[in-house]
Amino acid sequence: MFFVTYLRRELLGRPRQAAVIAAGLALGIGLVVVVSALSSGVREAQGKVLGSLYGVGTDITVTTAVQPASRSGGFNQITPKPYPRHTDVLTSSTLGTLNASAVSSISTLRNVSAAVSGLVLTEITATIPADNAPPQSSFQPPVQTSVVGVDADHTGYGAFSSARLAAGRGFTAADATANVTVLDSSYASAHRLNVGSTITVAGARLRVIGLVQQNGGSNPPQVYLPLARAQQLAKLTGKVNIVYVQAASAALVGAVTDEISKLMPSAKVTNSANLAKGVAGSLATTAKLANNLGKWLAVLTLVIAFTVASLLTLAAVTRRAREFGTLKALGWRSRRITGQLLGECLALGIAGAVLGIAAGFGGTRLVSTAAPNLSAIVQQANIGKDAFGGDLGANGGVFSGQVGGPVTTYANPSATHTVAVPFHAPITLTAIVLAIALAIIGGLIAGSLGSWRITRLRPAAALASVE
Amino acid sequence: MYTLTGVTKSYQKGRRTVTALKVPELVINDGDWLAVQGRTGHGKTTLLQVLGGLDQPNTGSIILDGHDLTKMRQSQLTKIRGESIGFIFQTFNLIPTLSAAENVEAALVPRPIASAQRHHLVSEALDSVGLGDRARHRPTELSGGQQQRVAIARALVKQPQVLLADEPTGNLDEHTRDEIIALLEQLWRQNQLTLVMVTHDSRIARRAQHLGAMKKGHLTVWPNTHQSPTSHQAPGGRHD
Repeated sequence: MFFVTYLRRELLGRPRQAAVIAAGLALGIGLVVVVSALSSGVREAQGKVLGSLYGVGTDITVTTAVQPASRSGGFNQITPKPYPRHTDVLTSSTLGTLNASAVSSISTLRNVSAAVSGLVLTEITATIPADNAPPQSSFQPPVQTSVVGVDADHTGYGAFSSARLAAGRGFTAADATANVTVLDSSYASAHRLNVGSTITVAGARLRVIGLVQQNGGSNPPQVYLPLARAQQLAKLTGKVNIVYVQAASAALVGAVTDEISKLMPSAKVTNSANLAKGVAGSLATTAKLANNLGKWLAVLTLVIAFTVASLLTLAAVTRRAREFGTLKALGWRSRRITGQLLGECLALGIAGAVLGIAAGFGGTRLVSTAAPNLSAIVQQANIGKDAFGGDLGANGGVFSGQVGGPVTTYANPSATHTVAVPFHAPITLTAIVLAIALAIIGGLIAGSLGSWRITRLRPAAALASVE
Repeated sequence: MYTLTGVTKSYQKGRRTVTALKVPELVINDGDWLAVQGRTGHGKTTLLQVLGGLDQPNTGSIILDGHDLTKMRQSQLTKIRGESIGFIFQTFNLIPTLSAAENVEAALVPRPIASAQRHHLVSEALDSVGLGDRARHRPTELSGGQQQRVAIARALVKQPQVLLADEPTGNLDEHTRDEIIALLEQLWRQNQLTLVMVTHDSRIARRAQHLGAMKKGHLTVWPNTHQSPTSHQAPGGRHD
């Protein structure tokens, strides 16, 4: 076919020009691929952070703010006694409680595919010194453990969903009020616990039935209990403090959020979009870089690449004017000549896409290799879980006040924790399709401008032009 | 047969109107060879362009076999050029990236001819100009004379009625010039072509049946009574 022969000869016969146009397009496309991969990587990292907070499959969480007067566990005021005491309480200190019936109300809403409740608690064990003890002499900092009560019938939602069973078994419906527990494997290892061991939570002895592996960077819960047993131990029967909601589709998350807000005006309804806004740290900085600077840099490079390709094509048409004039003299219709030119530009666009994607893969690998792990700093008050992820004694969180006098407990409402996220920039199929489409569009823009120039070319003038 | 009546072509040069071509009447019969001479810039090429439908005159009519080229749309002119008119240029105008055979084949692209037949015609055309063994060579790999032979093959491969040649030997040495002219003359006679050739070379012009002189766009045509080769046909018409 002459079209293909001519096209091949032109591209191979003018390699420098073809290389410059293809390289220009490739540069723009490569940058688009890198920025797109960076954005995907950031989204993925955000997803990991959000997943570690929400659990897999959860689109929305519903919580209420803690009311100072309603803090459970009876630990607000501790009156010193003349003898030392050991206390072990399970408290919902960072989240207010909701009636368990809230779950049923939410699950009846339109576009809600699942609603599962949980109880996010903190076990605080401390030894309160005698009131006549010398100040600071025998005070032991309190030990607190993060405990989560999970719905044994629906372990696929909430915090437990992102945990991977490492030993033993998970919860079953029969475990609802049983004295059983599943532990984080790191926690278990640190305390030399294993499947079959026994731990004490709020005075109850619980048998360890399983160990789970979790993303340590996300500061996961250390102890899981069946929800009903957790409610009993925390003296919160009929109460929950978090509801995990799954929308019927990702597109409906916003609508479901609004509906829940209307149903429960005093509740805090959080979805991934508004949770992501609360994420700070290098992850947020990278997200801003990818979404702002990267996006505009890619757009600018693309515009420059398209302009360069168009100008070079126009210059090529001017240089080849006599050739096109000759073809017109031979009886070639303008449409056939422009088709030939468009074919050449399209081929260059495809070459630009291939080179650009290759450059994009190289650039992305470079970024992934050079980029350090990202960290996300998350406001704990917004999370609804892991309220006391760190050593609050050391951080000055839970206990303060004068030993020997009344001890006041409080949770630091602005406390944050940092989640480490390994950065990986994946090149998605969408990015590749986008790159090919952009390169082809770039080629066609250049070709169309060249074609427009050809159609305006008078054969006589074209033949008179000097090459 | 060409019949030109009241053809003028002028253009603006600043405030001045320059007459590039003025042909009150001219008839070129089928099979005629008209050689047009004149100084550079006096309208010889413009004459070829209006005859080939590459440019339109401002006034007048150009009838080719009953079709008025001045009243045709571009697409119709393109069709006529693709079927009936062959061009030969001083600078050969071969497409540098294509081989000799592909350059010749380019002239057949607008015609609905099957690929195998096309290759056969290309092969024949190259053989007829003595370049059967140079089919795969690119223009840069050929001498000037060989390039012009390829251009002649390209012009004649579609078997046109009319051949318009614009100084076909202008870029060639004397020996090659004689070869090319001998070839053109042979093909003209063999194919019964209507040949309009612009040339500066009087020795070439003397071979034509009719001579034309261009001066400031005005064409004067007369029969060549001292025609070097055998006379072909009686003059069809003339005038300025």
